[in-house]
Amino acid sequence: MKFAIWRILAAISLCSASSFAHEIGTTRVSVVFQQGASYEIEVVTDAAALADKLQAVSGQAPQSDKTLQVQLQNYDEVFRRRLTIAFDGIVVTPEIDYSVSGTATETSAPVATIRMSGAIPPGAHEFAWTYSWTFATYSLSVREPGGDNETTEWLEGGQASTPISLVSPRRPLSRTAIAGRYLALGFTHIVPYGLDHMLFVLGIFLLSRRLRQVLAQVSAFTVAHSITLALSIYGIVSVSPKVVEPLIAVSIAYVAIENIFMSELKPWRVALVFAFGLLHGMGFAGALKELGLPRSEFVTALVTFNMGVESGQLAVIGAAFLLVGWYCGRRPWYRRIVVVPASMMIACTAVYWTVQRLSF
Amino acid sequence: MATVRLVALALVLSAAPLAAHDMWIEPSSFVPETGKVVGLRLRVGQDFLGDPIPRDPELIDQFISVDSSGRKPVYGRDGTDPAGLVRVTDPGVVVFGYQSRPKPIVLPATTFNQYLKEEGLDAIAELRERRHQTSSDAREVFERCAKSLVRYGTPADAQADRVLGLTLELVAERNPYTLHAGQDLPVSLTYQGLPLPGALVVAMNRAKPMAKIMARTDSKGRVTFRLPEDGVWLIKAVHMIPAPDGTNADWASFWGSLTFELKSSATGVAAK
Repeated sequence: MKFAIWRILAAISLCSASSFAHEIGTTRVSVVFQQGASYEIEVVTDAAALADKLQAVSGQAPQSDKTLQVQLQNYDEVFRRRLTIAFDGIVVTPEIDYSVSGTATETSAPVATIRMSGAIPPGAHEFAWTYSWTFATYSLSVREPGGDNETTEWLEGGQASTPISLVSPRRPLSRTAIAGRYLALGFTHIVPYGLDHMLFVLGIFLLSRRLRQVLAQVSAFTVAHSITLALSIYGIVSVSPKVVEPLIAVSIAYVAIENIFMSELKPWRVALVFAFGLLHGMGFAGALKELGLPRSEFVTALVTFNMGVESGQLAVIGAAFLLVGWYCGRRPWYRRIVVVPASMMIACTAVYWTVQRLSF
Repeated sequence: MATVRLVALALVLSAAPLAAHDMWIEPSSFVPETGKVVGLRLRVGQDFLGDPIPRDPELIDQFISVDSSGRKPVYGRDGTDPAGLVRVTDPGVVVFGYQSRPKPIVLPATTFNQYLKEEGLDAIAELRERRHQTSSDAREVFERCAKSLVRYGTPADAQADRVLGLTLELVAERNPYTLHAGQDLPVSLTYQGLPLPGALVVAMNRAKPMAKIMARTDSKGRVTFRLPEDGVWLIKAVHMIPAPDGTNADWASFWGSLTFELKSSATGVAAK
């Protein structure tokens, strides 16, 4: 078949950047909002082509004896029929000024500049635009209020623009603000949202009341989860949550069960807690990825999130110490009444989670 | 020979504009003096009301002029209108041709169905119905195949239209610059160089674009129009085929057009 497939393939590649639409014409529309109080819209388009269309729609005889500028002014009422400027869905009527520059020669064509302006209704949130005087694709550029950013949308004649927000875009957050935000996110990921991590930390705390033993475990855990959190965020390590989440539940169950049978810190316990820390770190990474990291302050966000997680864990341990450890820790019944039942409850919950996470 | 019907459409740029747009070449003059610069404006629109399309090298497959001295590229400045600028020093009829690369477009089902109806693409409409696709959006790639006949000076001998080899091509089989209003203009339509029978061909005058003359090509891919009035004429036809596999589209369309001016009072070559 002579029909050349490569040409169609080429077309698809060359159009991927722009549009699935008609050819791009010469019409350009730009919108500027003045301090949220007024709007100015400028349409630049081929004057003769517009006048021809206005004349056809008006049904009147051609006004070829008049200049294009006068023709456009005379067709003002017709022009307004195929134009919509709306704020929050309410159509407004602009002041319109028509001017035409340039003359028709073999190499150039007169250009119409149509300026529309008016007041923005107080409290308006959104601007919408429809223009039906072109058959070609045209651009709508909007300068964001109070900003230097300009957004451009390519539209077909008659196509409604994407609603444009009049509310000033948020300024990029400062490093301090990002640090504070991710510190809080890390903390709340443990307290109150991370019940599984809280139970794991409680498991560590319950084994032994000796500060040195708690610290050894907490340090191993912290170092480990910091490593995998960073490695996962940078994409160096990638383990599916389907694997990580049930294993986190298993780790909680293990620590709790060991608490029931063991009362002293054994060296392997620290090693195990380190290994479990590696798992929890991957879990934290999954959560952090869901929250998203600002590209500009990637490291700040990563470090502060980790610090937030850490403070959350220390808060859990601190609270547990104040509630039970401080008063009951030295009592002979502490293990029997507190550690064993609490560990059993934690173990049961963790076993339940393990089954639940495996089945989903 | 296909019968010629005169159809006047009452629709004037209706509230919902036609789904698909024609594309044609509008020279700054159809009958320039030799040596004068002529701007070739590409227009996209409907009912002979068009918007200028600036020169886009990404879209141009061929933009050429053909006359007795041969085939030459049409030059122009990228991003500007007119898309082409030419100066011809010898008298005669020059054929300008613009063939675009295919461009993809996605049309909602209702728009696409409407457009098939408007362009007389009945076979495709039936095919869509058989495939139960009438309610699905259509992914299409379209190619423009526009031609324009310009007469330079007062030629002693008038070479008529020429075959340029566009994918879809309308060819005037008599030289329109030797015709008077009311005379017959036979036009042939080819797709990939072969006659295309049964295709809807539409002729319209710039001054009265709503008074369209429509005819379907006969078995030899030919229609004959009796052009009632002087003025700038646009003849157009659309052809569509199922898009070849691997093109990421459902349909491939080809938009043929031919523009020229009918000037009964012209002092050029006497009408035959």
